[in-house]
Amino acid sequence: MSGAVYGGDEVGALVFDLGHNTVRAGYAGEDSPKVDIPSTIGVWLDAEDDVPTTRYNIGLLAIHVWRPEMELVSFLKEGMVENWDMFENFLDHIYNNALRAIPKDHPILLTEPPWITPSKREEMAELMFEKYGVPAVYLAKNASLAAFANGRPTCLVVDSGATHTSAVPVHDGYVLTQAVVKSPVGGDYLSSQCLSHLIERGIEIVPPSMVAWKEVTKPEDTPVWKKRIVPPNLTESWNNFMIKEVMQDFQASVLQVSDVSYDEEIVKTMPAIHYEFPNGYHRDFGVERFKIPEPLFNPTTGAKAGIQPILGVGSLVTTSVGMCDIDIRPAMYGSVVVTGGNSSLQGFTDRLNRDLATKTPPSMRLKIISAPGVSERRFGAWTGGSILSSLGSFQQLWVSKQEYEETGKVIVQSKCL
Amino acid sequence: MASGVTVADACKKIHEEIKRDKKHRYAIFYIKDGKQIDVELIGARNEEYEDFLTNLQAGGAGECRYGLFDFEYMHQCQGTSESSKKQKLFLISWCPDTASVKKKMVYASSFEYLKKALVGVQKSIQATDLSEASIEAVEEKLRSTDRQ
Repeated sequence: MSGAVYGGDEVGALVFDLGHNTVRAGYAGEDSPKVDIPSTIGVWLDAEDDVPTTRYNIGLLAIHVWRPEMELVSFLKEGMVENWDMFENFLDHIYNNALRAIPKDHPILLTEPPWITPSKREEMAELMFEKYGVPAVYLAKNASLAAFANGRPTCLVVDSGATHTSAVPVHDGYVLTQAVVKSPVGGDYLSSQCLSHLIERGIEIVPPSMVAWKEVTKPEDTPVWKKRIVPPNLTESWNNFMIKEVMQDFQASVLQVSDVSYDEEIVKTMPAIHYEFPNGYHRDFGVERFKIPEPLFNPTTGAKAGIQPILGVGSLVTTSVGMCDIDIRPAMYGSVVVTGGNSSLQGFTDRLNRDLATKTPPSMRLKIISAPGVSERRFGAWTGGSILSSLGSFQQLWVSKQEYEETGKVIVQSKCL
Repeated sequence: MASGVTVADACKKIHEEIKRDKKHRYAIFYIKDGKQIDVELIGARNEEYEDFLTNLQAGGAGECRYGLFDFEYMHQCQGTSESSKKQKLFLISWCPDTASVKKKMVYASSFEYLKKALVGVQKSIQATDLSEASIEAVEEKLRSTDRQ
């Protein structure tokens, strides 16, 4: 290892984990992130000055504001930063308001998806060094971090997040990028399925902030409620996001993946779950609980609107393992690590276990490893990055500002593997 | 990606002593101060696999360790009538589920360094519970690369 070695043991590094639902940020060495901010931000035009300027509303509270003509958009696409201008504003918000940290005082570890392109990595390093003047940068693959955090340098990481579910083989901590398989099905997909399902049943979904008052009604009765007076020109993207939040709550409380392949007769015997919507409408959900998430594992059961999954989660794993070298296949089946917010869906790991058990070659053992708690799964990659970057021995691996200045931005390709 | 932990020369020395001189049966390694992999314990030649397992877990449910074991078993090659004794050296990383994320992280991200430092180890096994570290599971893994 040549070149300048950055810092000592106490470096106070920052760790940012970029996800489609939220961005997790905090100090290295801690167990959980300091802040968890939605990666959707509000964009609006401030016309009070002579020259209209674009303004951004960032943070959970700021995006809920009833601001006319404010569009809610995400700066990420497929886990990679798409809109750098918005991302810079977002970083400013994290540094100035959320963490109140000075960028040049802290090295920074950023997570990236396994399919990141070289140009995006260089752009990221350039931004951090040139604009923020950070002393050192490291770009870590989120799958590697999740693998380490579960004590398995060689494993297959199944990451089910908001916008996609992926199967990522990791060998000795290095991602085998050629064998990564992903499908555009995740938490957001389930939200849209729930919504179209409920709309079909004639259930109206209203964001909680739009309800002025509601009355207690009998189950399945027409809700009695009054709409709050809100500014007339709230945008559609704002409304959709608010509805998605209701759906996310619905998903987390009601949905469950059926143990075996979906069978209406069996599912009918399962207990129903009662759910009340923001406008006061409430009823039991029985069969739907299992029917809606089924396409995640068994795509042929038919999705309603939007994207149609091609591979179920089980097939994602087998396809990915099939692309790995034959020598490491037993190791892959021997440690399947499940992570990501969407994997907290009830019954997710049990079903994956069952599906894989039938698909694993008889000569190989199957073992599924998953963190028990919801927060450990959502923050799995963040916690991994936090611990890694706080290790005394890790400090020689940072890309320091000096190295960056000597070699240029391509340095991240060779130093951050 | 890895942690930057180094491997003490003592580990390599013990490894040579086991591999070439057959002086010991096994060795257990740990990470000292989160910076260097060092030797914790050496097992005498006459000790059994069970002793090794006990010592591997001696730190309790919250501790991770690495182990190096010289495993012997009987193997019958195709076309021969007699079975012969085979010796295989394997490395194991012991990271129980009950260990803290920090421990798991350090041990998992440093295993690669140990693997690289100890040249000539036939198999490396990662174990998180006894079902993967038991004598049967280990033997099965070692045999999987033998010719029938």
